[in-house]
Amino acid sequence: MTATDFLNLLIAALLLAGTYAAMAVGMTVIYGVMKIVNLAHAGFLMLGAYFVYVLHERLGIHPLLGVLFAFPAFFAAGVLVHWVLGRGVPVSDTPTLASLLLMFGLWLVLQNVGYLIWGTEDRFILTSMTFATIRFGDITIPKIGLVVFSSALVSLAALEFVLHKTWFGRSIRALIQNRYSCRIVGIHVERTARLTFGLGVAFSGAAGGLLALLYPFSPDFGRPFLLRCFVIIVLGGLESFSGVFIGALILALVETFSILIVPSSYQPAISFSLLVLALIVLPGGVAGLMTRMRSRRTA
Amino acid sequence: MRQDAESSARGFRALRAVPPLLLLAVLAVLPLFPLGPNTVKLLFLTCVWIAASVGWNILGGFAGQVSFGFAVFFGLGAYTTAVAINQGLNPYLTYPLAAAIAAFSSLLIGLPTFRLRGPYFAIATIGVSEAVRVVMTNIDFTGGSSGYRITEHGPFRQQEHYFTALALAAIAVAISILVRHSRFGLGLRAIHDDQDAAADSGVNPFTSKLAAHAIAAALTGAAGGVFARYAAFIDPEGVFGFHRSVGILLMPVIGGVNTIWGPVIGGGVYGVIEEELVAKFPQFHLLLYGGLVMLIILFEPGGVMGLFDRARRFLLRRRLASWQSS
Repeated sequence: MTATDFLNLLIAALLLAGTYAAMAVGMTVIYGVMKIVNLAHAGFLMLGAYFVYVLHERLGIHPLLGVLFAFPAFFAAGVLVHWVLGRGVPVSDTPTLASLLLMFGLWLVLQNVGYLIWGTEDRFILTSMTFATIRFGDITIPKIGLVVFSSALVSLAALEFVLHKTWFGRSIRALIQNRYSCRIVGIHVERTARLTFGLGVAFSGAAGGLLALLYPFSPDFGRPFLLRCFVIIVLGGLESFSGVFIGALILALVETFSILIVPSSYQPAISFSLLVLALIVLPGGVAGLMTRMRSRRTA
Repeated sequence: MRQDAESSARGFRALRAVPPLLLLAVLAVLPLFPLGPNTVKLLFLTCVWIAASVGWNILGGFAGQVSFGFAVFFGLGAYTTAVAINQGLNPYLTYPLAAAIAAFSSLLIGLPTFRLRGPYFAIATIGVSEAVRVVMTNIDFTGGSSGYRITEHGPFRQQEHYFTALALAAIAVAISILVRHSRFGLGLRAIHDDQDAAADSGVNPFTSKLAAHAIAAALTGAAGGVFARYAAFIDPEGVFGFHRSVGILLMPVIGGVNTIWGPVIGGGVYGVIEEELVAKFPQFHLLLYGGLVMLIILFEPGGVMGLFDRARRFLLRRRLASWQSS
């Protein structure tokens, strides 16, 4: 492998990592606040993809603008879902199997509503950017990848801003730390949980729209990405936002560079094996590993 | 007086064994009537699903370890039987072999994943089952993604298949009852309620879960084997696919997890829905299952069995009220 090949792969991995981070962050927010493993994330990713697709095909709205529209639309959808499911999605300290199965049922419903509306064939969003590349000597960067990467970063930056500079964001972070203390300091836990669910779903939908710019999609679109989300948030330590970036980077690097070793037909097995490995070897994620090493050094 | 109560209690217990045995007898003589191949096929598949569903419930219901990965055992059982029959082994010897292979693989999967709890275990099983599916679509030895054909000489006797499946379902229910009422089953129930408390009172959660996983996998694997011989053609997407895991999980949830008869009812419901709805509305059935799961979790976590319980309590209360007023 030459140095240029290596650089090309590295760039591809970095671009992928940004998209993955945007994809996993919606799930992390919901898990952090409510300890719900949101299997319906896959359904919302898929709906996000079709949302952008339909706006693009029917109304001629630019896909990136469509992704922007996806935020409020899916926020509303998330709040509505949370309201309808009511006590089925409680704020709890440990993830429950009931909420897992509930989200699983929701995913099945969303996925098959998708099948009923759009059928089984693969769709894709083609724009002038899709096959364009930017060249620097031997290094080529796909334009669409760069655009998606930057949109993902912008949305993640906006999320960071909300989390750290607004009262809503502060109450989310407080809820992740301790739900009981939140009540003492006057945070409306249920309302915050509802809005958080909306926020998480908004990010799922928008991320689905971004992924649709990169890959063809069908109503089963979310499934492989759902498993990748698990890998990312497990590697990242489940509830930390910086952990999501680390997890996304690790997964993107492993997936991209494994092409050199593993035959491409075995490619999908990599994220699944990484998931099991991460769950078993790194229960606290990379962040947890670092704290453990630090505490061992001081001890 | 006391002896009276005791003997009536024993009589009641004996009475409770009557409906299941009656059901078994009816199912056993049913093929003697001219039913047509489609009905027999429906009955056959329902029995296969019941066996897998009852198996899943031993781990997912009794021990409370929800797994999204039972397609692994169904698929391995199916492929074991398929390959063994093609090697010339007697079909009835291939089913125990399928069960053994599935049980062995369950140990390989369980050893690492049972270090995880609850939802983390559930997520890990999704990963395992998808990884196994990908590997199976790439193995040349069994034809990869294009599938594997079973060549069996002699005529196709549908009733023989049906009786095999019925026997398997009956064995599954019997094992489920035995497990439920054994010391081992009590241990599983303790793990279901509180794993730490169970460990403190002398149950080894790790080995108990491994054993429950192995029993469940063996039943599911045998069901896969029986299914494969009937289908005569299997492919990785069909037997290892995620929808297969989903189906095996849905049946006990619909019927009522952590009960003896819930998974049986769930298997029956699933079998009928699969056969009657899939052909007409290919996507509608999964939509229906999804909606059912949501309704069950939200309103009646006990599934159909829970509904029965509720109806019985309602009737009892009514009778009590009318007795008091008279």
